[in-house]
Amino acid sequence: MRIPRAAPALIALFAGSALGAQTLHPSASASLVWARVRSQKSAGTDYLSGPAFLGQGTLAMRRLQLTVTYMQGTVNQDGPLGASRNLVEGTVQLGFRPLDWLTLETGPHARAYSSTGATERWAFWELRARAETAFVGSAVRGYAELWRVVAANVNVPESFGHGQGGEVGMILRLARAPLAARVGYRIDHAVLGGGTRLETVDGVVVGVGLSGLP
Amino acid sequence: MRGGRHLAGLCMMALALAAVPSALRAQSSDSLFATGLRAYKNLEFDLAAWLLRRDLAQLSATAPAATRAAGLAYLGAAELFRGKRDSAAAVFRRLVLVDPRYRPDRLVFPPEVTTLFDGVRLQTKTVTVDVPRDTTVVPGTGSFDIWVIASSFQTTEVTLRYTDGAPFRALYTGPIGDSLKVQWDGLDASGVPPPVNRVVLRVASRAPTGELGGIVQVPLDLRVVRPDTLPWPPPLTAAQLLPERAKSGAATRSLLGGLFLSGAVAALPAVVGGTDTRSGPRMAVAGTIGLAGLFGYMLHRPGRPLAANMRANQTLRETWQRRVATATAENARRRRDVRLAIRAGEPTAIQPRGP
Repeated sequence: MRIPRAAPALIALFAGSALGAQTLHPSASASLVWARVRSQKSAGTDYLSGPAFLGQGTLAMRRLQLTVTYMQGTVNQDGPLGASRNLVEGTVQLGFRPLDWLTLETGPHARAYSSTGATERWAFWELRARAETAFVGSAVRGYAELWRVVAANVNVPESFGHGQGGEVGMILRLARAPLAARVGYRIDHAVLGGGTRLETVDGVVVGVGLSGLP
Repeated sequence: MRGGRHLAGLCMMALALAAVPSALRAQSSDSLFATGLRAYKNLEFDLAAWLLRRDLAQLSATAPAATRAAGLAYLGAAELFRGKRDSAAAVFRRLVLVDPRYRPDRLVFPPEVTTLFDGVRLQTKTVTVDVPRDTTVVPGTGSFDIWVIASSFQTTEVTLRYTDGAPFRALYTGPIGDSLKVQWDGLDASGVPPPVNRVVLRVASRAPTGELGGIVQVPLDLRVVRPDTLPWPPPLTAAQLLPERAKSGAATRSLLGGLFLSGAVAALPAVVGGTDTRSGPRMAVAGTIGLAGLFGYMLHRPGRPLAANMRANQTLRETWQRRVATATAENARRRRDVRLAIRAGEPTAIQPRGP
């Protein structure tokens, strides 16, 4: 009896998938980020760095796209007595592509630093603009992305002032294969407490991607 | 007694004609011939001869030869039976000239008539020419058939002449018994298609003694027909050919794109406000992108031969050359395929003396 009840739902799910496959264009990538965190406070400046894994997935339909990223890694304080922190970051961006080379996105961006004692949680709402076009034949595409924080919620003593960031890089697409290689540089900068605290996260991104997933 | 009856009939006919001249003038040639034939069959040869001469006089020159020949045959026979052998021979000579193929029916005419006719025919040297009215021949390999029918054994000269009488091509000179087919291959004496559009076929009959018996001429209108040649395929235009050398656009784009992105990577911290960052990894990324741009410039450098485009263009050119060769061969074949259209006019006979 339970199987017949579930059948219409399953049929609807598969039918929806088949219909969506005609217009949805998924892609995914996995990257290694050498992240560096610079936290400048009135008491001093902390420098932390370390590798992180960055996963990204995109689902595009015509001129709309949904992008989800997740980054996790461990950054260690520079110096022999440095403590380590776990860095976890994620974004969900809904984008619209008014031109073939331009994408406008908006969505939440969350970041957390967790150490033994406490966890700093940063939550932003961002506006992003991304330009991407081929510059070496059709195989190599360059991209530049800038974003601005329009709202934020952080659990640190300093009040949030403003924040912005950007990423520039290139994507090499292999001919006759859905594979792509990516190299880029990204930076995220936030100002808190009227300039008493500056928080900067930057890093080099090297990764591979897969587009046209079934 | 018999002659008196004929004379009385003739007088009665003359009186009747004088009484009703308009009615007789209205009488058709057919009825004159029929009346003459009836008179001949009634052995009224004077009346028959008078009626048949009148019938022949009314026949136009374009009347069918068979019609004139029948009238002449009965007239000759009537003259013979009137005792005028010379006059009968003259009529028969005229008959032979009109139709050399004519032979009197031996079931209708008695032997004395046919004997006299045969004697005259053997002495009269004339021919008739039978050619197709409209025909087309391939010069050199084809043939224009000319049938020459002779009244009797004779020597014949068949020539083609220009309209001014100058010789164009000699076709045959020699004896002819009954008939002869002479062929013309459509070429002039030098072996090329005729440069004029009209010649005259001239057949001259001569007696064995060399005496000219008569000449028959047929004008021939000539027209050299050449089929249209194929137009050459249009030459390839620049729009159909792909560029065989790389232009500067892709190379410039690679170089400038690499430089711009490298600069953007280097300047990104300053743009977003994070100035105190390590420059080493950032410069490595900027250098990588710059090298990619430089590599792209080298890959797409201006003037670089584009092998794929050159192969595609070569295929296009070869296809065009094959089409040109095909058209050239077809045109050469068509130029060789010359035909000569011949239209024969009405034959005219020239006799050295009258009947």
